[in-house]
Amino acid sequence: MQKHLAFALRGIVLWEILKIGTALLSSMHLIDRYAYTNRLRQVNSAHKAGLTLTIMGLCLILNKLLVGLVAIGGVGLLGIFLAGIPAKVLGRILLAEASFLFLATIGVMLSVSLHDPGVTMLWRVQVGPLWFSTSYQAMLDGSLIVSRALGSAAAMNFLALTTPLVDLIDLGRRSHVPPVLLDISSLIYRYIFILLDTLIRKRSAQESRLGYQTSYLRAMHNAALLASQLFIDAFRRSERLQTALDARGYNGELRVLMPDYQTEPRLLWAGGLLIVGMVGAWLVS
Amino acid sequence: MLYKRLKSAMWLIVAISILSAHTAWADSVNPPFFLQVEPTMHIMEGFLPPGWALFWWLVALPFWVLGFHQLKHLLIEKPEQRLLLGLAGGFIFVLSALKIPSVTGSSSHPTGTGLGTILFGPFIVAILGTIALIFQALLVAHGGITTLGANSVSMAIGGPLVAYYLVWLPLRNNAPIWLSVFLTAFIADVTTYLITTTQIALAFPDPVSGFIGSWITFVGIFAITQIPLGIAEGILTVLIVNALQQSATSELKMLGVFK
Repeated sequence: MQKHLAFALRGIVLWEILKIGTALLSSMHLIDRYAYTNRLRQVNSAHKAGLTLTIMGLCLILNKLLVGLVAIGGVGLLGIFLAGIPAKVLGRILLAEASFLFLATIGVMLSVSLHDPGVTMLWRVQVGPLWFSTSYQAMLDGSLIVSRALGSAAAMNFLALTTPLVDLIDLGRRSHVPPVLLDISSLIYRYIFILLDTLIRKRSAQESRLGYQTSYLRAMHNAALLASQLFIDAFRRSERLQTALDARGYNGELRVLMPDYQTEPRLLWAGGLLIVGMVGAWLVS
Repeated sequence: MLYKRLKSAMWLIVAISILSAHTAWADSVNPPFFLQVEPTMHIMEGFLPPGWALFWWLVALPFWVLGFHQLKHLLIEKPEQRLLLGLAGGFIFVLSALKIPSVTGSSSHPTGTGLGTILFGPFIVAILGTIALIFQALLVAHGGITTLGANSVSMAIGGPLVAYYLVWLPLRNNAPIWLSVFLTAFIADVTTYLITTTQIALAFPDPVSGFIGSWITFVGIFAITQIPLGIAEGILTVLIVNALQQSATSELKMLGVFK
């Protein structure tokens, strides 16, 4: 009985993780796919990363509503016209972040207290012993946070969608980040996909045998089976990888040929213009 | 006999908690309209004011330096640990990307740092966790670079440190393995959330009731989702350590995890 219960419990946990894991993999593949296929793929990753960091820094330091809005619009145009990423994809990712932010700022704008906050508030409501209210200042703060966060998030999305992670690791190598860190990073990158791929493969194998169709209990049992095998399988695969690398004289550094990077003058011009625009927006507001 | 009874009572409590987590999760599949968002993890890019963003970067810095030195030593002495390191990092990424939304400018999700803490100790996890956080910003557009310091302090540094020194070290030779592994993962998870809550409450104190007011509100909201999640993560970590004991005994011994 106890054994059954334990097994069913593991199943419930892992069944949920499976569901979300599948969704995660698809969103990751979306970003990774555009990173490899967009029109700015061959452009020097230092330029793209530099532009992103500058925009993010400006959003944070200038800290004005208008600056964030200019950044969102400008980065969006760069992504659509220079990188050739569909507006729908850009919009979908940004919208997900925006709707999340909306929720987050509710927490900032809403005040909860035991005392009447006074008439200076925009609105106040009493529920039992608690007072809910929003002040005018909190409202302004909230909109500032939204624009600042979305501006930097848009810049980050631009980098994520135009530059594959291998290029960024290579950029780290060129800018003298300790090789130990870069190696661990590339291994983690590899393992993320091994873990998720193993999960998806095992799951479809079980599904094709109606593993999740017959009964709830059976489904839970199978999810538990999968989970206990997932990690072992990933570990065994990693052992084989290590053996293969050792056989080729691996000494802790993975050296690969990187593509010849190009300089895209249009990106530099447009990026410069965007930065000027952001500073301009700051001067105006 | 008593031990056995206690054990089944424990399972019963776990069952109830997990089932409530299950319901919470099931609800989040069809949430009310204002919760219909694709959740993002950690404190989002640009969410913190510049001063606080910088402050948390500075807090994280000494731990990164320490972790980096330990990592370098580990790889020089035991180069074959590289793979387990990568696997533990990947695990942190996968687990901390499974998330459900929360109303406090952050989100709820397991952290995955418990396993790494048990295997490598808290300082190396600081590095692994930070790399996983950077990847999340780049691969799934969650978290961010400006808030990397704050997120590292909560997930990669604070949680593992507390769990390692307050739970893992005292318990590992004095309690059943499954219990100490479970508690380590659970405490790492809960501590992470207490720290995130503190960070947000510090940056955005309630205009009416101040820091304490927002802290209590945020903790209340987190507790609903985070305690069941922590339990779920604890169970998962126990499962994986069991699996590792079967298939990677020599590695575990070499790391000095068990006597």
